[in-house]
Amino acid sequence: MSAQEKYQSLLELANQNGTTYELSEGDNGTLVVNGTAPSAEAKQQLWDEYNRLDPDFRSGDLVLNISTSADAAGGGVHTYTVESGDNLSKIAGKYGISWKAIWDSNRDILKDPDKIYPGQELKIPV
Amino acid sequence: MKFRYLTVLSLAVALLLSACGKKDADIQKAVQDKLAADNVTGVSASVKDGVATLTGEVADQTVKSKAENSAKGVDGVKSVTNNITLRPLPQATPAAPDPALTGKITENLKKAGCTGATVEVVNGKVTIKGSVPEAKYVECIQVVNQSGTTGIDNQLQKSK
Repeated sequence: MSAQEKYQSLLELANQNGTTYELSEGDNGTLVVNGTAPSAEAKQQLWDEYNRLDPDFRSGDLVLNISTSADAAGGGVHTYTVESGDNLSKIAGKYGISWKAIWDSNRDILKDPDKIYPGQELKIPV
Repeated sequence: MKFRYLTVLSLAVALLLSACGKKDADIQKAVQDKLAADNVTGVSASVKDGVATLTGEVADQTVKSKAENSAKGVDGVKSVTNNITLRPLPQATPAAPDPALTGKITENLKKAGCTGATVEVVNGKVTIKGSVPEAKYVECIQVVNQSGTTGIDNQLQKSK
């Protein structure tokens, strides 16, 4: 039985309670569900169902990454405001990530990784 | 006499068959309309002798079963053969490199009061060990699930 079949009732619950999600495949067939629930209650329903299908979450075949709309509005993505004298490597150093990771997350607003300006808001992929 | 019976019989059979044929086409149309009404896309339906056969490729198991339920509910459908296949899922990518993920999860576990839990991330997959109070267990597991990992090895223990 595939993970999608195993967790079908969970996905159906998500469809019913207004949670939007995207599926992808992680490590060794793990079903990765990235989504947003409309409320903390809706998220709790999904976790209750997860616990019912896989008691204590031991199987390691599902990553249930559900945030609530409120989380998302409250800055689910970390942003950093560029200060004078910053460069991508310097900013990346503060987060222990590579400058390329920041570059990749901000290609929509940056044209050249060497040119950033004070006041710009960069998405930090942490 | 015999001939007349045969004629009547074959006429009746012919009528019945043509009636069935027409009905199948109607049912097929009804099934297709129902699928469209239920926002099921990428699925085609054909009906023969009241048996609806669904084919196509969808991304999600729930769409596959939703299509089947939609078809079953249509008047005149005796049974449904569900030949819909699932498209392979896209590969999940970790939200950050391993050291950054480890740091982020460790920090979030600390914030959630999950002291006693330790994590290690290898190629986007998290292994969580140690033990946390039973009341905190689900919350600690949620922190790990919501960190952008692509796999979890859950060895976390509950303490009283």
